[in-house]
Amino acid sequence: MEKKLSEMNYEEEGRVGSIKQDLKNKVAGMGIRVGKNLKMITKHPLRGPIVVEVDGAHTSLALSIADRIIVEVKK
Amino acid sequence: MKKILLMGNPNVGKSVFFNRLTGANVIESNYPGTTVDYTKGYMKGDSEDFEIIDVPGTFSLEAKDKAEEVAVKMLEEEKGALVICVIDASKIERGLYLCLEIIERGYSVVMALNMWDVAEDKNVQIDIEKLKNILNIPVVPTVAISGKGFKEVVLSIKKAASVGVKEIMERVGETK
Repeated sequence: MEKKLSEMNYEEEGRVGSIKQDLKNKVAGMGIRVGKNLKMITKHPLRGPIVVEVDGAHTSLALSIADRIIVEVKK
Repeated sequence: MKKILLMGNPNVGKSVFFNRLTGANVIESNYPGTTVDYTKGYMKGDSEDFEIIDVPGTFSLEAKDKAEEVAVKMLEEEKGALVICVIDASKIERGLYLCLEIIERGYSVVMALNMWDVAEDKNVQIDIEKLKNILNIPVVPTVAISGKGFKEVVLSIKKAASVGVKEIMERVGETK
């Protein structure tokens, strides 16, 4: 099932399906690219940033960025 | 005097590295983005002296904020400088991304795989010889807080040279 990265639940894992074109280079340096496996670690309240695990490292992303990354969630 | 830029992702230990190399006392704290401006210092090599510049952390060479802008601008202004690319060995992929961008722009790079102890604790295994062969640059495991690997980093400075990305790509193809 596909959903936005910002809509993933805690502990949920998924694979990056697509990233909005203008965002691609911006998040690539943080290790987030199409095909990468992600795990949701934390979502901060009040529309704060989210924290995901990529390659064993934690990365935080603004919610507005997470809204524009589509993830194929593992069942 | 030849200039050396210390570059790497935020929070990988560049400032601790800087202090080790120069004997300075730059404030370190365990938060990304502690260095938003740059610091300069001097180091005595075995045959010549170097000016060392502690550059703010950046994820890539396409700046997204003030600190990253400073980092990218500094790199662009110091065309002839040598770059010590400090990488968190436990999060090697992101570091390699930035490091490759710097190599791509034609700089001579020494790669320091810092936080080697943390990577070992996390069971991250890195084949240093293979990295060296593919990139054709000096690659040194270091632990900045204890000083491990620093002698080798300083000795490697002489061996660093600009390498072509095309050749790197070819070598990656061979090892697949």
